[in-house]
Amino acid sequence: MSTAPEPTPAVAVENLSKVFKAGLGKRAFVAVRDLSLTVREGEVYGLIGPNGCGKSTTMKTVLGLLAPTRGRTAIFGRSSTEVASRQAVGFLPENPYFYKHLNGLETLLFYGRLCGLAGAELRDRAREMLSLTGLEDAADRRVAGYSKGMLQRLGLAQALLHRPRLVVLDEPTAGVDPAGSRKIRDLILGFREQGLTVLVTSHLLEQMQEVCDRVGIMAHGRMMREGRVDELIAVENQTELVLRDASPELLAGIRELVERDGRAALVRSGQPRTTLESLFLEATEEKP
Amino acid sequence: MKRRLQALSVLLLLGLVKLPVEQTATATLREARLLTAMPDFGLRDQLGQMSFAAALGGLRSLVASFTYLRAYNAWENVNWAMVDSLFQITTRLQPRYEHYWDEAAWHMAYNAASYYLNDETLNPAVRGKLFHEHIRRGHDILQEGLRVLPEDPRLWNSLAELYERRTYEPARAAECYLKVAEFTGNARFLRFAGYQFAQSADRAFWQRGYDLLRAAYDKNQRPPTLINTLKDLEKKLEVPAERRIPESYVPVPSGAAVPG
Amino acid sequence: MTSYRAFSPARIWTLATATVTQLLRMKILIFLLAFCALVVAAGFAFPVLNPEQQLKLLKDVSFGALQVFSLVIAIVATALLLPRDLEDRTLYTILSKPVPRHEYLLGKLLGVLLLIGAGLLLMDLAFSAVLWLREKLLLAQIIQALEAKTPEAVAQLQEIVGKQGLNWGLHLGVLAVFWKAAVVAALALMISCFASSTLFTVVVTFCVVIIGHGQGLIREYFLQGGTLAEPVKKLLSALLAIVTPDLGVFDVVDNVINGEAVGLGAALAMSGTALLYLTGYAVVSHLLFVEKEL
Ligand SMILES: Nc1ncnc2c1ncn2[C@@H]1O[C@H](COP(=O)(O)OP(=O)(O)O)[C@@H](O)[C@H]1O
Ligand SMILES: [Mg+2]
Repeated sequence: MSTAPEPTPAVAVENLSKVFKAGLGKRAFVAVRDLSLTVREGEVYGLIGPNGCGKSTTMKTVLGLLAPTRGRTAIFGRSSTEVASRQAVGFLPENPYFYKHLNGLETLLFYGRLCGLAGAELRDRAREMLSLTGLEDAADRRVAGYSKGMLQRLGLAQALLHRPRLVVLDEPTAGVDPAGSRKIRDLILGFREQGLTVLVTSHLLEQMQEVCDRVGIMAHGRMMREGRVDELIAVENQTELVLRDASPELLAGIRELVERDGRAALVRSGQPRTTLESLFLEATEEKP
Repeated sequence: MKRRLQALSVLLLLGLVKLPVEQTATATLREARLLTAMPDFGLRDQLGQMSFAAALGGLRSLVASFTYLRAYNAWENVNWAMVDSLFQITTRLQPRYEHYWDEAAWHMAYNAASYYLNDETLNPAVRGKLFHEHIRRGHDILQEGLRVLPEDPRLWNSLAELYERRTYEPARAAECYLKVAEFTGNARFLRFAGYQFAQSADRAFWQRGYDLLRAAYDKNQRPPTLINTLKDLEKKLEVPAERRIPESYVPVPSGAAVPG
Repeated sequence: MTSYRAFSPARIWTLATATVTQLLRMKILIFLLAFCALVVAAGFAFPVLNPEQQLKLLKDVSFGALQVFSLVIAIVATALLLPRDLEDRTLYTILSKPVPRHEYLLGKLLGVLLLIGAGLLLMDLAFSAVLWLREKLLLAQIIQALEAKTPEAVAQLQEIVGKQGLNWGLHLGVLAVFWKAAVVAALALMISCFASSTLFTVVVTFCVVIIGHGQGLIREYFLQGGTLAEPVKKLLSALLAIVTPDLGVFDVVDNVINGEAVGLGAALAMSGTALLYLTGYAVVSHLLFVEKEL
């Protein structure tokens, strides 16, 4: 990791807290507590955590759909409270839904016009997005008849339509069949190659593992762990022996045995590493 | 919360700013006779009826049409009390529509009154009483209508006819015909007023009738009734012979004919 | 990527036309067809009435339908718009685009107004055609029945029937209907900005509409009823007069049906009042919506 002064981050969340006021007589609910995170330009950042931990709330605050109770959020250095901060962002909300009465193409044209696109450029771009997300055949069908996976892909197309520099995806693979989910992950990998910045949430870990550069694990509205995926998880072709109270002599004996085997090699020894899954369970079970 | 307070204060500010605007707009539209100030029909119908009519909003006319149709139905069933009360609602709903007043009065003063007069099943005293009561009711309806539409020639004409044909009050009929003439600009009604004045019992009215008819005569309006009435008045008023109109029939100069 | 503009009529138009399509595809056109059938029926029903009454009834029924159509759309359609977008989460995708919230609101309002305006225009055309036809037929009938032959007699009959027939005042009457619906739509939008449910919006708007028709009475009571003997009543009437619009200003229809002409001054008075309400309610809606938690 470089230590040079950071350029403007794509997403900056600083000490964000979000409290939902409940009705009279009920306690206010703290959905996000003092959360800070930074997404650097060009990276894929995964925010993972169990349902209800505040991922969507954080995303909505970043997009200016919710006002922070404390702290601030910014996109490319512009506060989320400014409408202009959203011109470089594409957002796929959780379980996206569109105007039922429009068909796929009309939906994209509608969102394109909202982004200031028009005419032939918009049509071409909309067609391009439909083929990218594999919806060409459904372009003339009303959105009301779309399956969950198709809605998800239409949501992606809509998010990418205006060539944003940052895409924010809230649970893009939730409720989608494995093939559809694969396709969406391939798209995310494609974004990384194109240099797009991606902020993605999920409660499914192994899916995030292969697409994310960095992940943050949230629980109970707090950030529990954050770091590069390869730093956070172990490699699968390795076996770990976790010993308690092992003497230096015992360790030397083990090394000797390994050397004698010829095939296996000792990669490293030291403190144990964990899989993302166990890290996740461990992190989220810690009481705040 | 801050925004909500701002919203509330803007709403209240708008409320204060709009009051004079609403007053002005209402006044302008009333002047253009597009809005009707709720006429004060007396203590019977106060706020209740007024707010009912107001709540109907722009549907007043439609509801008035329905009550009118029901009144029509009641007339076919010879239910005079029903006709009267339905017309009362109808005229309240749309007081600026002269036709409703006119027809309501006509039903009472002519149809209902004559119906009772000719009802053999009642004793003569009751028949006479009901006859006069319904004429009176028709008269009152026209008076009410004229309070809302004081310049309506159709209502003045109906009132004149009612005085002329129903209550036999020629001087009053004459005054009403004068109003009709005033609001239509039609000289024929001046002559009608003249005829009615001529039939009254008072010398002062004869003089007014004479003046009206003489003026018409001088404008070459000379139908036979006018000439006859004028001669009659000349005698009653003892007009000096030299100022009387010629005894023989004077043909009207061609081109100046006015019918009636 | 195109550069961002703080205010974009094109975006508002996009939102407005999307709203119109949305409402149109809720099968609102059926209502227009029913309207035409009603007008034709009213035009030829009740031949027992005199011609003047027949024309009046035709106009009454048509204007009644115009008003019911415009008010129902203004209240119900508007009350549906925001909650539906919120429920379907289309609001998230729209507002996560560079769309200022006030443009979203203006787009929705404009969409409803476009729909009401176009609907009223179509209904006005249909109704004018039937009225014109009916007028001509009735006139021919009367001329035949009375055997009026002289040009003066025909002209006189034409004038009598013409007063109840087609004239410009009627179209301006439709304008008044439009303004009233526009004010009610803006009101419904404002209420839906803080309401918790569609039903709440519909019920509250409906109540305000009812009170709004009597606001003139309440206002005059408050402004002119000089006695301070009943301070509670006075305060209450002041409050009602301040928070509700005077919808009675737009109730020129019954006099327009009666043949009164709508002059320029009257049209301006109505339009000015309507625009004042529209602006005021739009500003309040914006304040309520700009920081609304979605
Ligand atoms: N508008 C709201 N009002 C009250 N509570 C909310 C609201 N939105 C979310 N919450 C609560 O905040 C918590 C976090 O929600 P969310 O951010 O959607 O979680 P997730 O991580 O599953 O996306 C949940 O417990 C949810 O019930
Ligand atoms: Mg979520």
